[in-house]
Amino acid sequence: MNGRKGPGGGAGGRGRTGAQSKEGGQRRPMFRRRKVCKFCADKIDDINYKDTKLLMPFVPERAKILPRRISGTCAMHQRKLRTALMRARQLALIPYTSE
Amino acid sequence: MNRLYELVYVVSPDATDEQVSELHAQVEAIVQRMGGRIEKTEPWGRRRLAYEIGRHKEGIYVLEVMLGSGDLMKEIDRRLKVSDLVIRHLVVRVDEEQAVVDRTRSRRIETSRRRRQARGLPPDRQPGEGQREPDEEREERFDAGAEEGR
Repeated sequence: MNGRKGPGGGAGGRGRTGAQSKEGGQRRPMFRRRKVCKFCADKIDDINYKDTKLLMPFVPERAKILPRRISGTCAMHQRKLRTALMRARQLALIPYTSE
Repeated sequence: MNRLYELVYVVSPDATDEQVSELHAQVEAIVQRMGGRIEKTEPWGRRRLAYEIGRHKEGIYVLEVMLGSGDLMKEIDRRLKVSDLVIRHLVVRVDEEQAVVDRTRSRRIETSRRRRQARGLPPDRQPGEGQREPDEEREERFDAGAEEGR
């Protein structure tokens, strides 16, 4: 509620439809104009460390975990995502770093 | 108190098939000795490691789902730690998370049915209705050699 158009999305980023789009304040926006938690939107309940296909988009080039303010993931799912990513890292399914 | 655990271990790529199956037999022996049960074994096969472990660039992954006690998992953990052949392993308890997932899923289905009926619609989504498919197609989504894209 503080910044008007800063990149820091609120939790879920739901009420915030951005300046450029008028539509999108619907219950479940189809194409994400503004950030919506991917897991909420797609109704993915279990974020599993074995599912690298699901996790990879949250591991950018430097292999750091994508922060919530960028990905728009909600707090609960970011937490689950983090444990999944850290488990996957341990098994060398996803990298810790990339030089 | 028996619980459901998931064990993934990464065997060194130099290991032969016999060595891998022998390792599996060893795990099975421990599980049986300590009163557990292996529910599922899923060899993922050889895949590239995301980073080098030691000098290895790839590994042979094996997933085992087993029912057992905490002591059993402790023992397995200890044995795998000692083993030279296993370069990485991970034990995760899965029953609680699975229960939570099942609960949220069934609750969601229930609410959606109730709402649909309140709106005078058939309880289940008809084919071709709505914006996107429900997540049915994602049931079996991570497969063994998940190297290739979709």
